[in-house]
Amino acid sequence: MSQRDVILTLQKVSKSFSGLTVLDHLSFEVRAGERVALIGPNGAGKTTVFNVISGAYLADEGAIVLDGQDIVSKPPRARARMGLARSFQNIRLMPHLSVVENVMIGQHSRARGLADLLTPLWLTRNRHWRQEAEERLRSFGLDTYPHVVTSNLPYGVRKKIEVVRALMSHPKVLLLDEPAAGLDPRETHDLQEFLLGVAAQGVTLLVIEHDMSLVRGLCEHTIVLNFGRKIFDGPTSAVHEDPQVLEAYLGPQDAEPARRLAVGGG
Amino acid sequence: MIVLIVQQLINGVMLGAIYVTVALAFNLTVGILNFLNFTIPSVFMLAAVIAGAAEERGLPFGLSGPLSWSAALGVGLAAGLLASLLVERLTFRYLKTRYGDATEHAIPLVSSLGFLLVFQNLARLFFGTQPHSFTSPIADANLRVSGLIVSAPQLLSLAIALSIVVAVTWILRVTRIGRALRAIAENPDATLLMGVDVKRIVPVVFALAGVLCGVAAAIFAVNYGQVYSGMGDEIGNKAVAGMVLGGLGSIWGAVVGGLIVGVAETLSIQFLGGDSVQAVVWGLLLLALVLRPEGIFGHHAIGKGKL
Amino acid sequence: MSGYFGGVIVILSLNVILAYAIFLPVASGQLNLGGAAFQAVGAYTAGFLSTSYDLAVGPSLALSVLAGGLVALFFSFIILRTRSVYLVLATFAFSEFVSGVIVNIDALGGSVGLSVSTHISGTVVLVAAVIAAAIVLLFMQTRLGLATRAIHDDDLVSELMGIGVRWTRVIAFTLGGLLAGLAGGLYAFYFNFVDIQSFDAASSIYLLLFVLLGGTQTFWGPLVGAAFFTIVPELLRSAISAAPALAHALGVTGELDSSWRFIILGALTVAMMIVRPEGAITRIGLSRLQAALFPSRLRKRPA
Repeated sequence: MSQRDVILTLQKVSKSFSGLTVLDHLSFEVRAGERVALIGPNGAGKTTVFNVISGAYLADEGAIVLDGQDIVSKPPRARARMGLARSFQNIRLMPHLSVVENVMIGQHSRARGLADLLTPLWLTRNRHWRQEAEERLRSFGLDTYPHVVTSNLPYGVRKKIEVVRALMSHPKVLLLDEPAAGLDPRETHDLQEFLLGVAAQGVTLLVIEHDMSLVRGLCEHTIVLNFGRKIFDGPTSAVHEDPQVLEAYLGPQDAEPARRLAVGGG
Repeated sequence: MIVLIVQQLINGVMLGAIYVTVALAFNLTVGILNFLNFTIPSVFMLAAVIAGAAEERGLPFGLSGPLSWSAALGVGLAAGLLASLLVERLTFRYLKTRYGDATEHAIPLVSSLGFLLVFQNLARLFFGTQPHSFTSPIADANLRVSGLIVSAPQLLSLAIALSIVVAVTWILRVTRIGRALRAIAENPDATLLMGVDVKRIVPVVFALAGVLCGVAAAIFAVNYGQVYSGMGDEIGNKAVAGMVLGGLGSIWGAVVGGLIVGVAETLSIQFLGGDSVQAVVWGLLLLALVLRPEGIFGHHAIGKGKL
Repeated sequence: MSGYFGGVIVILSLNVILAYAIFLPVASGQLNLGGAAFQAVGAYTAGFLSTSYDLAVGPSLALSVLAGGLVALFFSFIILRTRSVYLVLATFAFSEFVSGVIVNIDALGGSVGLSVSTHISGTVVLVAAVIAAAIVLLFMQTRLGLATRAIHDDDLVSELMGIGVRWTRVIAFTLGGLLAGLAGGLYAFYFNFVDIQSFDAASSIYLLLFVLLGGTQTFWGPLVGAAFFTIVPELLRSAISAAPALAHALGVTGELDSSWRFIILGALTVAMMIVRPEGAITRIGLSRLQAALFPSRLRKRPA
């Protein structure tokens, strides 16, 4: 693995809510172009990590550096403009906007100046926005109903639309929160292929997932969180052998036999 | 000069008693249900106007002749209670949040605005815009304390308002229903899960608000000797100002805010003339919203809909 | 344009402009309970400049638009620092405050009112309404218009997508103020009399409610709301005036004229909030209508 530059760093990031510590001096690095999985038992703080990186919450302490710039005190929209994008665990599309419109919202951080903001989108100079959105939807097989309001579409479709929306900002780092949740094995495989393609274009992926097949197929690097602390940070292939990880998922009594099984199997 | 100011302060505090009671009604609904119930000023007016009509003409359909002042006040109170429960039945009960977007959180508020228009204009249709007098025997008893005039009704009103505040605080803190109400204010979902029948308890808040409006109406009728259909607009609305000044969701906020508005009103009448009241009171509120929107005792839990 | 029919067209035009003035903040998720107050700012500006300084209609109208916009800009910029529930209360406080202040200013006619000598024709008002509607339509089709609608649905995610939520809300509110100022100026020059009672809190509430009932998801909703709640009262007016005997029999003593208009709107509001709170015209409804009328795959998106 060639030595790539670090694109995202968290340094001793902590976050508490009403006295409950959710993130505890968390530190990790992500290199440019990497595909990193962020896993851990429920309640480990994974979505909170995303919220703190994207700016939905402000970290109580610690540093967050994106592409060389400290973003820990920057407002969310500045971080979006710097190349950060995300999808959400409970799909958060705008219910009253159409598919195309939702996707075009993702482009907003690329809009520059009054001309981009205040001229009607059907003018010739602005047509490229829509065309790009429709093209992306087509490549994802979602072009059947571009003008339908999203609130009535099926779950799997809305999940994919959210990912397309996140891609519209041409992000450097893409945070995906359980992108495969609710997808069947075939759809999950399609998603994996799609995301590999996205990563091949230079986008760094940080993925929260419970589906281990997707994690193994997509991410070469895995970080495991438990109770807001990092308990593993290394190659995905080594995760299932790590004693701390096993204990976190299975509990101390069951960890020992599982470990013996894992070492023997694969 | 000092005597003048103190006299106006006394008058203001007495007027404030009315504002406090209505502000409390408003505040309870906001604090527990996160619902800005704009109907409340008009419920206050309805209670007063119906009490006035009951004293003048008796109950409808000739059930009895003109009623005595205390019975009429009771009828007014009942009217306030019923009106408030009607609002609950047709607004809050139907709230279904599907998307959690901005408009949805405002649905009960919008409904309450609809009710406001209906109540206000029904009153205007049936009772006209002119004041109706309301006579009560205690209206003219005055006390003189070192050059200051304190009327018996004013003193009584203040006593009533303060006892109501104490009573409401006691209800919320000690009784089972009160604790359920506070639980709903904190976390409606958890309360549901713990087996509290939220659907049966929410009407209690509305009933309480209605009764408070009825009491405030009674205080007004006895103190000022008249009622009119514009009362909600001119007086009830200012109670809203008092509530916001004191802090949304805070009982003591309602008390302090209501008293501040009462005093501001009488002082500005004395020194700036009767026409200045509206500008002063609402200007004060705007200033407060700019400098310290959560009011004196308010907290930040008020915001997007909880229930 | 004259006569009864012309008068209705003028009122409709003014209501359309006001409807869009309220629609813009509401579309961004902010209820505005002070619409009539911003209109009053425009009306009194135009009236005052015209009577005291003999300013011509054109410049007076321009300044009334500007006045409405500036006050809205100042107001929303300061108030939008806080949570949105306070904006509703602040707009309500503002409408009461404006009435309270104007009543005391003799140069503006105080409680009696201000006469305005220059008269404009109904056609001017109608043309202004059409232009105003066109501007709003165009705005909603820009990226900023899209951002406005996004904020209404989910302001947190909008912020995460790079939208400046507070700024967009201020802009929407200010544009609304400009339109309300225009409506005020036109009112002053058409009716030639400006009195504060026409711009009271009840008027603001009436305005907000018919916009919400028309529907704030699309451009067409406010238009429908304004049309319905201007025309239907006029139709009912003739019916009501033919039945005073019935009213007296029911015990009605007060004036019939404007009260029933508010009662109908109020009752309809309560009903609509129960059965169809998103208003008469919705995006989904419009899509279905278009699908029924133009059943081809390549159909234009609803406005």
